[in-house]
Amino acid sequence: MRKQRKLWVLMLVLAMVAAACGSDDTADTTSAPPAATTTTAAAGTDDTTTTTEAEMIPCSTSTPDGCAGTILLGAAVSETGRFSREGKDTRQGYGTWVDWLNEEYGGIKVGEDRYLVELIQYDDEGDADTAANLVERLITEDEVDFLLGPYSSGLTMGTSAIAERYDVLMVEGNGASETIFERGFQNIFAVLTPAGNYTQSAIKALADAGAETMVIAYEDTAFPTSVGAGAVKWAAEYGVEVLAEETYPLNVADVSAIMTKFRDLDPDIFVGGGHFNDALLFVRGAKEAGWTPKGMVITVGPSNPEFAAEVGVDANYIIGPTQWEASMSWSDEWFGTAAEFAARYEAKWGEKPSYQAAESTATGLALHLAIELAGSLDTDAVRQALRDLNVDTFYGPIDFDDTGKNAGKPMGAIQILDGATQVIAPAEASVADLVYPMPAWDER
Amino acid sequence: MTTDTLSPMRSTMPRWRIGLMALVIASLFAMPLLRDQVDWITNSRLFSFTQMFMLVALASNWNLTGGFTGYVDFGHAVFFGIGAYGTGVLMHNGWEFPPALIAGAIFAAVYALIVGYPTLRLKGPYFSIAMLGTFVAVREIVRVWKGVTGGGVGLTLPPYLNRVAFYYYTLAFALFVVAIMWWIRRSEFGASLIAIREDEIGAEMRGINTTVQKMTAFIVAGFLSGVVGGMWAYQNTFIDPDIVFIESRTIELVMMTMLGGLGTVLGPVLGAATIYWMRDVVWASFLDYHLIVEGLLLILIVLFIPRGIVGMFGDRSGTSLGELWGKWLGKSPPEET
Repeated sequence: MRKQRKLWVLMLVLAMVAAACGSDDTADTTSAPPAATTTTAAAGTDDTTTTTEAEMIPCSTSTPDGCAGTILLGAAVSETGRFSREGKDTRQGYGTWVDWLNEEYGGIKVGEDRYLVELIQYDDEGDADTAANLVERLITEDEVDFLLGPYSSGLTMGTSAIAERYDVLMVEGNGASETIFERGFQNIFAVLTPAGNYTQSAIKALADAGAETMVIAYEDTAFPTSVGAGAVKWAAEYGVEVLAEETYPLNVADVSAIMTKFRDLDPDIFVGGGHFNDALLFVRGAKEAGWTPKGMVITVGPSNPEFAAEVGVDANYIIGPTQWEASMSWSDEWFGTAAEFAARYEAKWGEKPSYQAAESTATGLALHLAIELAGSLDTDAVRQALRDLNVDTFYGPIDFDDTGKNAGKPMGAIQILDGATQVIAPAEASVADLVYPMPAWDER
Repeated sequence: MTTDTLSPMRSTMPRWRIGLMALVIASLFAMPLLRDQVDWITNSRLFSFTQMFMLVALASNWNLTGGFTGYVDFGHAVFFGIGAYGTGVLMHNGWEFPPALIAGAIFAAVYALIVGYPTLRLKGPYFSIAMLGTFVAVREIVRVWKGVTGGGVGLTLPPYLNRVAFYYYTLAFALFVVAIMWWIRRSEFGASLIAIREDEIGAEMRGINTTVQKMTAFIVAGFLSGVVGGMWAYQNTFIDPDIVFIESRTIELVMMTMLGGLGTVLGPVLGAATIYWMRDVVWASFLDYHLIVEGLLLILIVLFIPRGIVGMFGDRSGTSLGELWGKWLGKSPPEET
């Protein structure tokens, strides 16, 4: 009997362990870094140009005598937990910038001096309490000079409030929700295009092509809601009439009821806000309802190559907003073109950069350029420099407004053509022409 | 079942133990005052303690229904969530923190009243699963009720973030909760709860109004956890359904209470403190495997010290999960020796 009791308890415990590990199933097990990874030096040896340049620059990790000091940065970024995948991209994006800065560029110029950068990263486990605690620790115990952001809007919300309280600047590239910038904070700056502007380029391109009416469906969570509200705004701006707006809760398995309703309204374009899985539902739902809109704009899914693989030919002609694509025509004097950045990233990490990785590198670059512009490490001076910053980068233009949002960067849009994602907007970054209207499902 | 577990706990605590507790409490109160003298005491450390105090209070509340009354609640975090949302919504609409906090806790208590009435009729694992169901249901309601809760987008609260203030709020509240639990355990009410845990039908036959007693415990636990939720919301400055309503929060409380000693006053306190700090160490040393290591430790604890830390030191007044559920899963387990 005693045995049986233990069996029950054992089963309960195993269930708990399974629950605990379930959230960890996408964790990166290949890299296995320590709890606090400090990225000062690394890799780069496979790149021959790096070594020759490093010999010439007076300040680098191999020639630290020429440096005036080290600027300490801190970030709490998920390594385990629900954001482990995106957190890994974020870490690698930060790492790309740090290594380039310390190995090739020769440290941040502050007046006449050069400073190396040391980045302390902790794992926030995707948990709000842990992230808050770690940012508190970075500020009060590690005494970092500046903070880089965590992954996700929710974690950026809580941690940016702590940065604000201690008056430490936080530059981030992975919190797109508009609410972050509506709190009057003076110390948060984000390089990515905020969620409200996600559909701007796509709606403009479609309106220019003749679209007049639109319907919108989006998941009722922070990011898609901001996307939906933005779509309504941009529709009004470009003269497109919104016929209907529908929301649905997280984790639905079917949106065909919404699609059937939309079919009867017969709008020109459909805008869908959600995550990867929602994009699949939208396409399947529209096809099942026997409805081919002239244009379909869907967030997150289409810009991911897996989308076309999963949906097959139906993925063609779908339009998706994207923060960044390696094929975009942006470039700068530091990382070169978007494609060159992608090549550098792939050589270093062995995988193609996602846009989360690119925006993380751009986050570091923005802080770096602001410090150089300020010519000082003083918080007030660097904050002012961040506001004054107006620069084109491999990631796109960076020009912060007073709330800390990047007002300069248009969101890109891709269209899937022959199974490949092609940038079709904005005009200055596009590499292909928009196909509008898209052919019916059965004529492909 | 011994008569010892049924009678109110006698006050036979040895002097040294009272002295030790007084010393710990005094040091905790003094800690923030020594911030300038001791390097170890940073705002980040105070924040860690704040989180631990909240867990101590939550685990103690969970123990009131789970440990004393024997109703293992797998959805207890719902009270935390309702408290957080009650406080958050009211503060978002301009209320001051203290009235918003109280109102949030009252919402949690009212919810306990409404949900407890039907669900407390269920026994053993059936109650546990039903509570998990209501937890998920409330999260979805919060998500859908956009006009009030902000839906999936969430709500921001005015940032206050005074670590020292929160440290004292949560410390004082955790002590208050533990004191209430101590008092309940010694009271007739507490004895009734234990009687319900040990033999509900027998308790009823002896004239205990089991429904009223169970409901009272449930509502008190709900109210107190609602207060913790409200404090958490103000301290985090932001709430959304996925940050507030986390299933693992309840599992944590169950773990902590089981480690410390189910059904004892000090068990949840020791369990919460041990797991919180253990996690800090484990997490730093076994980064990739920390969840597995935690799980294994829990298995060892459950198998080898089912009555928790308190039980290990000879306190037999508590119970174990096997005893609680064993009744409803066919056979009654033997008395622990």
